[in-house]
Amino acid sequence: MVPRSASFASAWLGANSQNMSDRLTRLGSLAITAPLQAAGFVDATMANRLTWMPVRGMSEDRLFILGEEYWATWIEDSLLDVGRRLIKRARTEGRRVVLVSDHLRCLIEPLEAVVGADELLANTMSFRDGRATGRLEEPVMARFGGRALEAYADKHGIDLSRSVAYGSTRADATLLAGVGEACVVNPSVGLSRVADELGWPVLEET
Amino acid sequence: MRVSNALRGRHIVLTGVTGFLGKVFAALILQEVEDVRCVTLVVRGKGRKVTARRRVEQMLERSPGFRTLREAHGDGFVDFVSARLQVVEGDVERPRFGLGMDVLEGLRGADVDALIHCAGLTDFSPDPARALRANVMGAKHAADLARFLGAPLMHISTCFVAGNISGTIEEALTAGVSPSGDSFSVTEEIHLLDRICQEGEAAHDRTVRIERGTERAQALGWPNLYCYTKALAEHLLAARNDVDVTIVRPAIVECARSYPFQGWNEGLNTAGPLAWLISTAFRRLPTRTSHAFDVVPVDDVARGMILVLCAMLRGDRPGVVQLASSDVNAFTFDRAVELTGLGFRRWVRKGGGTPQDRVLRLLDPVPVSLNGEGESVVPGLRRLLSRVTGHVDDDAWKNRLVDWDGQLERIEHMLELYRPFLYDNRYTFQTDTVRALSAELEDDEQTFAWGVPKINWRNYWVDVEYPGLATWCFPIIRGEDVPLDAPMSPRLQLSSVPHSASMAGK
Repeated sequence: MVPRSASFASAWLGANSQNMSDRLTRLGSLAITAPLQAAGFVDATMANRLTWMPVRGMSEDRLFILGEEYWATWIEDSLLDVGRRLIKRARTEGRRVVLVSDHLRCLIEPLEAVVGADELLANTMSFRDGRATGRLEEPVMARFGGRALEAYADKHGIDLSRSVAYGSTRADATLLAGVGEACVVNPSVGLSRVADELGWPVLEET
Repeated sequence: MRVSNALRGRHIVLTGVTGFLGKVFAALILQEVEDVRCVTLVVRGKGRKVTARRRVEQMLERSPGFRTLREAHGDGFVDFVSARLQVVEGDVERPRFGLGMDVLEGLRGADVDALIHCAGLTDFSPDPARALRANVMGAKHAADLARFLGAPLMHISTCFVAGNISGTIEEALTAGVSPSGDSFSVTEEIHLLDRICQEGEAAHDRTVRIERGTERAQALGWPNLYCYTKALAEHLLAARNDVDVTIVRPAIVECARSYPFQGWNEGLNTAGPLAWLISTAFRRLPTRTSHAFDVVPVDDVARGMILVLCAMLRGDRPGVVQLASSDVNAFTFDRAVELTGLGFRRWVRKGGGTPQDRVLRLLDPVPVSLNGEGESVVPGLRRLLSRVTGHVDDDAWKNRLVDWDGQLERIEHMLELYRPFLYDNRYTFQTDTVRALSAELEDDEQTFAWGVPKINWRNYWVDVEYPGLATWCFPIIRGEDVPLDAPMSPRLQLSSVPHSASMAGK
């Protein structure tokens, strides 16, 4: 649904820090951790934590106002049509639509209303004295699934065996495995492999 | 407490309606308390050609401050204001505002319930001779008139009469004691300032008058002539036992939150030049990040004044009332600087500004400390520029460097003027009185409550203040005109019913 990665968003935020020195530091720390993530040395949750850690020290004011700019510049006009179509179909079928994203909530807050979803589950940065601590609040939305998914379903009275999930990256596999009907959309290489093994249908659309 | 009940059938005399705060206060009263009996506006004429009445008519017709009121009443606007407003031509710098005995007797016969003295000079560095007449003697004349009318006086002052001190500033005044802790006689001080303005060079040179007046202000612990003269007025009024005086001290009055409409501002207020400065290539503002930038939207100040007025009318004597934000919802300078940059960024993204601004928006302003010598970066830049200029032969370049130096000199002067508020002093102004009055409100809480404790500064600064300054204040700094509302057709003319006769009795 959202065309750009969490790493891109974190780098954009870093590049728009208040001070030049902070810009360099944040982009530098992201550059250092990127190879670890790419090489698979850390699991998806840790990778997601590392992605957002450089935001540490940014003010809540800046994150929220830049979040609005990020949405307007990089997301609003680039939402994938396939995502819109799938959501529209789900709504027609009378399903509850829940969006799950590894972006910070402040960057994609309008998404829920724009696509007509019932709920948006996204990463939430923790703040102390108006400044980001760099730590994501639990649950981290990197590999949403397993017990977190079951707890969510219990809380909202959702029958997972009758639910449908769509995903596009390897980290989404846990979520897809937890529902009755899984579908991968424009999958990454990793997820494509899993989809082949488990026989999940694949949609290749823009 | 119900504001509409408290003000029903009341007659208020108001000075300073042509100023930013005066306009919002008058418009808000007329808008929300329709059955106020009369608001008498004391206004100066402009030269010989424009009478006070015509000034008020022009203001009602074209000032955005009255836009909401005009829109609410449509074709009935003229009748509505004619039935409630009375204009008298007067000058606060003259005894009893220079009003003739017939006007004075007319006012006395019309049972004035309160006199609100809102007029004054708000320039930080005014001609002291003028500031003495407007800010100090104006307050004295207001007290004299209030006594003559048998009405209580609300005098609008400023929180910054606190002077060069840091800490919690109570809603109180210790008469005859300056911020430096020295005892002084306000009468002698007035004579001294008067002498300073008339002796030697100062008699003919405004700059010398300002220098000498400022020296005197600073010797007693006030940072500038504005704070000094406003403080002298307070001390003068504190000595008056013959009239009920309530002193209202707003902090930094800024763009409207909601009334007359979001973002409205008029003239050059405190935040305007600062926000403009850090929206230019100058990005390093000397501030103490944890100090409060005590901003209050103008409509909140007007609401606070209305609450105080209600208290005065029921016989309370509030004494000193501060209308500020620093005690319960402090807006710190680090946030102010960052949000100004973010506000600028958003304003440019949405189509404001010049091509140069599109680049500047990516370079955020930052709060910085002064160096070891207590200097900002500007004097160093000027020294560097001076050295470079000495080595340049080309006339065109030399002129350009001289021009840059002139710009830096203006910035240096401005930073020096603002330094006591940005850097030196840390103020926390108590606002217990207005919060207590607001808590007493019954069914008109939505309209008149003191909303400052609940302001979301991020939303206010970025959505309201910055766009407001960009529309209403920055053009003035650039030497451009600020848009007025379209003239009415036919031209607005207040009816000439003699109010003093029609409004006698409640």
